[in-house]
Amino acid sequence: MTEQTEPTVQTEPTVQTGTAQPSGKNLEISHLVKQYANADRPVLDDITLTVPAGKVTVVLGPSGSGKSTLLRTVAGLEPIQGGEIALDGEVIASGKSGNAKSGRQQRSSDLRTRVGMVFQSYDLFPNKTVLGNITLAPTIVQKRPKADAEREALELLGRVGLADRKDAWPHELSGGQRQRVAICRALILHPEIMLFDEVTAALDPEMVREVLDVIVELADQGLTMMIVTHEMAFARAIADRIVLLDGGHIVEQSDDAERFFTDPASERAWQFLRTFQFKRHE
Amino acid sequence: MQGAEILLQPGVFPRLLQGLWVTVWIAGVSVGLSVPVGLLVGWLMTLRNPLIRILMRIYLDFIRIMPQLALLFIAFYGFAQAWGWNLDATGACVLVFVLWGGAELGDLVRGALESIPKSQYESAYVLGLSPWQTFSRVILPQAVRRLLPASVNLATRIVKTTSLAVLLGVVEVIKVGQQIIDAHRFEFPTATLWIYGVIFFMYFIVCWPLSIVARRLEKRWAHD
Repeated sequence: MTEQTEPTVQTEPTVQTGTAQPSGKNLEISHLVKQYANADRPVLDDITLTVPAGKVTVVLGPSGSGKSTLLRTVAGLEPIQGGEIALDGEVIASGKSGNAKSGRQQRSSDLRTRVGMVFQSYDLFPNKTVLGNITLAPTIVQKRPKADAEREALELLGRVGLADRKDAWPHELSGGQRQRVAICRALILHPEIMLFDEVTAALDPEMVREVLDVIVELADQGLTMMIVTHEMAFARAIADRIVLLDGGHIVEQSDDAERFFTDPASERAWQFLRTFQFKRHE
Repeated sequence: MQGAEILLQPGVFPRLLQGLWVTVWIAGVSVGLSVPVGLLVGWLMTLRNPLIRILMRIYLDFIRIMPQLALLFIAFYGFAQAWGWNLDATGACVLVFVLWGGAELGDLVRGALESIPKSQYESAYVLGLSPWQTFSRVILPQAVRRLLPASVNLATRIVKTTSLAVLLGVVEVIKVGQQIIDAHRFEFPTATLWIYGVIFFMYFIVCWPLSIVARRLEKRWAHD
């Protein structure tokens, strides 16, 4: 599977805007507070963070630290109770108390297409083929001509090594293939930032690689990305900025991934990283 | 073979077919009208409004607990007495079967809608789909797949239950059968089994394709 994606990376010079130009935009999160109704303490408490344009920001942390919730607030899936989220200088979400119970943020369709997201669960629409999944939003939300959407969908499928599966149904695909299709489905809207929420957590180990390779390729093209992952080797390789969350707070932030993984500044980061190391007792 | 000759009497078969047509008409109209009612009821059942929930619950339980025959009598005799609504027998049947089918189908629709994972709504949201686009393009098609097999079974139940219409005086296939048997009581005293046998096959021919369709759909969509 890995061999499938890699040649396409190298032999596909026609890819959109080229590889050098950063295609994304800055995301600024300031003093964000997220609290669920009936919870005694916030899930995210005073988070201030910049996701720089064209860079990969990896959010790490133990489960329950709020990292998935952070992505969900950026995507508009959770209303926020304090602070602000700004995309390319424009405020896209601002905190209001008392909206803890409401379902999602009131966001325009147009704004939602500017933030792409891929989830942990394989969430392709089972009633649509691979091509149907990818072309649905561009045709009915962005009102692009069907032929145009299909042409780009095929191009994207080629890039992730799935051009021959365009007419397959989601249930005929492996988990790794579904996630690659889900990535195409988000990319076709030309989002300014992509959010990946533990996209390989539910995959068999052999399929993790084929998905992560696609994300690495996107990073090389300079797409702004915010990634939550448990794959430490991947995080170390891809991150331009590392953010460690714990208990709803940012514990450590680093622009030097190598340094973070070998010599983190905080004791909490040491503790966290040690949970991924194994040693036999003497 | 005693009594089988009755089937060859002039007019017997055409009359049975006419009766079958009445049965199929009542069942077809009832099922057809149950679909929009069921979709509406099912959608209402998924709403969070407590008042609507309770009303729908009462409606569903009332229809389920009452025997269909009692409902038919209420609609035919009760309404006429209480409010002077003089429904004809066929109209009363259709009304009751639509209320019944709508309630049962509504419950199926509710179950199907609630079985669609939240992540489907969230994926549609981040792709920019409007709530209506999400419902019509993503949620409803999936829900329909899930409820089709069960609703085809419901349709066969409605077809069979139309036989109760006899008791309101509707001349459907069973009533026609009785009339034929009565009319030929002395000529063909042993014709009963033959007439009801033919009626059995008529019901079978109407319902069997439906259950085949249900089984096919169940198999084809099992993977979703």
